[in-house]
Amino acid sequence: MKYKDYYAILGVDRAAGADDIKKAYRKLARKYHPDVSKEPNAEEKFKEMAEAYETLKDAEKRAAYDRLGRHDPGQEFQPPPDWGQQFGGAQGAFDDIDLADLFAGLTGRHRQGGPRASAFTSGRDYEAAVRLTFDQAFHGTEIELDLSVLEADAQGGLRRVPRRIHVRIPKGVSDGQQLRIPGKGGKGTEGGRDGDLYLDIVVEAHPWYRVSGQDIYLDLPLAPWEAVLGTTVSLPTPAGTVSLKVPPGTRAGQQLRLAGRGLARAGATAGNLHAIVQIVVPSVVDERERALFKQLADASNFNPRAHFEREAVHEH
Amino acid sequence: MNIETHQALHIDECGELSWTQLVELSGLAEEELRELVDDGALGPVAPEAPSWSFHARSVLVARTAGRLRRELDLDAHALAVVMRFLARIEALEAELRALRAGALTRR
Repeated sequence: MKYKDYYAILGVDRAAGADDIKKAYRKLARKYHPDVSKEPNAEEKFKEMAEAYETLKDAEKRAAYDRLGRHDPGQEFQPPPDWGQQFGGAQGAFDDIDLADLFAGLTGRHRQGGPRASAFTSGRDYEAAVRLTFDQAFHGTEIELDLSVLEADAQGGLRRVPRRIHVRIPKGVSDGQQLRIPGKGGKGTEGGRDGDLYLDIVVEAHPWYRVSGQDIYLDLPLAPWEAVLGTTVSLPTPAGTVSLKVPPGTRAGQQLRLAGRGLARAGATAGNLHAIVQIVVPSVVDERERALFKQLADASNFNPRAHFEREAVHEH
Repeated sequence: MNIETHQALHIDECGELSWTQLVELSGLAEEELRELVDDGALGPVAPEAPSWSFHARSVLVARTAGRLRRELDLDAHALAVVMRFLARIEALEAELRALRAGALTRR
């Protein structure tokens, strides 16, 4: 496995005290934590320093790390022959794993009262990002996920192995949501529970539909005469086209609601679909249309700004 | 390579969680988690019941809290404050999404 210099990553001396290590980490975490950082590669850097700190903050793990000796960063190395026994971690081959895996294997073993008294560890939770189109999220879908997981072989050696799993995504998921596949994270050892697999859902933006909670919104453009006279339009909904009756005298911004046409989860009440009326006008009109509009303007006594005039009267 | 098929679940389909499960899933110490309950970041289904149980959604709060506790090396009090801010951000983001979607238009 490749060596990483945890001290250099945190920028501390190998003889640094626990307090100095903590201080150095906190300073770096403030700068690089992905939730707050604007630095390029912040996430990658942060992962590296979190890994370094996870090991160095724990006296026992730090001792185990120090016993690996000093190597150049990136250099291939093997732990000393008696290392596994001495620190109660995994034994045998360490070929396909990285340094973080090695120390994750030490978690909780010695702390819980004696090396063998309570040797179980829970499996790690895995997390994977899943990108879906709007339609996949609406209808549900099946995807294949490739994971790299840590497994113990019969001799207790640790290996990283690729695992492909087929996942059914339920219908009605939305952007930013998390889904859970219980027990599909890392294997627990000696009776510890298996970890879970969490999926972070990203739903691509749709050109028409916008989602809020379980409800879907879309803009419905109408010509002025359609809004005045009323009409019936073909409305595309995620579950298929429907006929929507627009009543006469429909205003811009008004919402026409189609119950149950929003996001639907199995066993739950479906959300609604809201068509938000926009009144749009043709940018080019021909002679005849212009004449008709002129005729309408002359015939109509409709004043859309009557409320301005009423306000003006109150002010005087 | 063998392929297994698994159903991904909405978080709230995962059933209620016991206190012990929540402690285990969060990776936090009991006192740290208790501080989050005292502060309102986590709410037991029935706070007066002899043993607490939590809505399935609490797992996300507990996991986030555990992650921040480790990654930012926060003490229990700071963690509770950060969790309160995160809840506020989440509520604001939901409101922003609703505004963008058109759910909350001016009357």
